[in-house]
Amino acid sequence: MSFTLSLDFQYTTSIEKLWSALTDSSKLAKWVMENDFKPVVGHRFQFRAQPIGGWDGIIESEVLIVDEPHKLSYTWNSAGQENTVTWTLKDLGDGKVNLHLEQTGISNAQANEGAKYGWMRMGGELEKVLEQ
Amino acid sequence: MRDVYVAVADPTRRELIRLLADVEELPLHKLTSQFQMGRTAVSKHLTILKDAGLVLDRKVGRETLFRLDPTPLREIQDWVAFYSKFWTTNMLRLNQLLEEEEE
Repeated sequence: MSFTLSLDFQYTTSIEKLWSALTDSSKLAKWVMENDFKPVVGHRFQFRAQPIGGWDGIIESEVLIVDEPHKLSYTWNSAGQENTVTWTLKDLGDGKVNLHLEQTGISNAQANEGAKYGWMRMGGELEKVLEQ
Repeated sequence: MRDVYVAVADPTRRELIRLLADVEELPLHKLTSQFQMGRTAVSKHLTILKDAGLVLDRKVGRETLFRLDPTPLREIQDWVAFYSKFWTTNMLRLNQLLEEEEE
């Protein structure tokens, strides 16, 4: 039993630039978290956030798919959650790119209070940053 | 122990929810007629939905009528909303990053 989060975003940019923001470790750090990501299938890496509550702030990941500049997928394991994050990029023309996110394997909430709390807090902090 | 996640994990039970979502109430025999399985099997699925608080039933004469109470589904919606909020916020930051690069 699991759930899938599915979201679409559109950006005014080129597909190459968007791909770079998704796969360049330093750029990724600016909008997700500190990380040691490399766009290499089989590469194991971590996203690292501030530990909070019962959550250690670490997301263990392994790169599953690198299909430049169309598809990128990695695992997203943290606090008992074993999810897969998959990005699909689509050039819409006119300098617009659609970015589709799917996060699969989302399971029971009870075991993940720590992660939940951490993410809620992060979401709140980020909103503040954005308002500045 | 009511567990709404377990309740919606099964395709038959999701189909029962879908059928009940379209109507006010349905008797057991109407629900059973929608499935390849027997009355007992459908009944068992309804019991799991009942235990999870998703389905209410009442007896009218010899018939049992079932109705949907979607309130517990909010638990699932809330959980997915955490991921949704997390990524939506990050996407705004990604947009900022892409705009900065443009300058």
